[in-house]
Amino acid sequence: MSVDLTMPVLVVDDYKTMIRIIRNLLKQIGFNNVDDAADGSEALTKMRSRGYGLVISDWNMEPMTGYELLKEVRGDESLRRTPFIMVTAESKTENVIAAKKAGVNNYIVKPFNAATLKSKIGTVFGE
Amino acid sequence: MPGNHIDVSRADELIGFITKIRDGDPTLVEVMGMAELLASTLQPYFKRLDTAIYGEFRQIAQYIEKTKSEIGSLQANDMSEKRIPEAGMELDAVVKATESATDQIMESAETIMAADTTSIDGYQEVINGEVMKIFEACSFQDITGQRITKVVETLNFIDDRLSKFASTFGVEDNEVRLSDEEKAREARKQEQILHGPQMDGEGVAQNDIDAMFSGDDTAESAPVSQDDIDALFH
Repeated sequence: MSVDLTMPVLVVDDYKTMIRIIRNLLKQIGFNNVDDAADGSEALTKMRSRGYGLVISDWNMEPMTGYELLKEVRGDESLRRTPFIMVTAESKTENVIAAKKAGVNNYIVKPFNAATLKSKIGTVFGE
Repeated sequence: MPGNHIDVSRADELIGFITKIRDGDPTLVEVMGMAELLASTLQPYFKRLDTAIYGEFRQIAQYIEKTKSEIGSLQANDMSEKRIPEAGMELDAVVKATESATDQIMESAETIMAADTTSIDGYQEVINGEVMKIFEACSFQDITGQRITKVVETLNFIDDRLSKFASTFGVEDNEVRLSDEEKAREARKQEQILHGPQMDGEGVAQNDIDAMFSGDDTAESAPVSQDDIDALFH
C-alpha cells in the first residue's frame, strides 16, 4: 500500500471494543498513529485541534452521529478535504445514499474484516 | 290494549275519578286515590320495564366481571414488577458477559501478537496459555444463550396474554399517542436516518455498496428511487 502509513488516523465510535478492534486492524495494516473519539462532537473538537489524514467513523452515536459529523466536516473549509470512511451497522440503501450525498469517501458495513478495511482505505487513497 | 301492558280493567273507575275531579274541587284524598289507581293501572308496564333494565344491568355487570377477570389474567403487576425488570437484568447480564468475553479474547490476541518469538518454547507457552483463555472466554455463549431464552419466554408470555385480551374484547389499534420524549426520539431517528442493525438479507450487501461507490449500476441492491440513483451519478 502506497498510503502514507505515518499519517494520523482518527477512529470515532462509542463502543470501546470497536475502537480497539479497528485500532488493532489498522496496526496490522501498518498504521501506528491512531487516535480515537467517542462521538461526533469529540471527533470534531479533535479534528479542529489537529489535522488527520483519515477519519473512520461509526454512524449511530450520541450526542452527535457520524452522519452529522460527516456533514460538519464537509461544511468546514479547513476540514472538508479529509478522507472519511463510514463503518456502520446502518445498512439500508437510504443510509448509503445519504452518506454518499453528504460526501463520504467509502462505506463499510459491520461486521467487517481486515481485508475489507484495507481494501477501502486503498480505494479512498486511489490505489 | 293487550300490547301496551297497561291494565285497562279499572278504566271505568279511573274515568269516574277524572270526571269527579273535573266537576268540582278535588280533595287530596281523591287526587291520591286517582294517583294510586293510575299507578296500579300502569303496574304491568313498569314491571316489564324493570325486567328489561335489570337484564341490561346484569349484562353490563357480567361484562365488567369478565373484563376484570381478563385484566387479572394479564398479570400486569407481575409483568411490571417482576418479569420485565428480570428480563432487563438478564439482557444487562448478557451485555456484560459479551463485553467481558470480548475483552478477554482481544487481550489474549494482543498478547499473542506482541509475544516474543525469539524463543520457540517461550512463544509456544504464551500461545498455549492465551489460547486456553480464549476457549474459557467463549463459554459465555452457553450462559448468554440461556439468559436470552428466558427473555424470549417473557416476551412470549406478554404476547400470549395481550393477544388473548385483544381478541376477547375485539380491541383495535388506535393511532399511537407518543409522549414528547418519544416524539423527540422518533424525530431524531428520522432526521439522522437511524435504523440500527438489519437482519440478514435485509440490508445492502457490501458488494452492492462497493458497486455504488465504483459507479457500477448493474449490481443488485435494495430498491431505490430513480431520483436517488440519478443524484448519485451526477
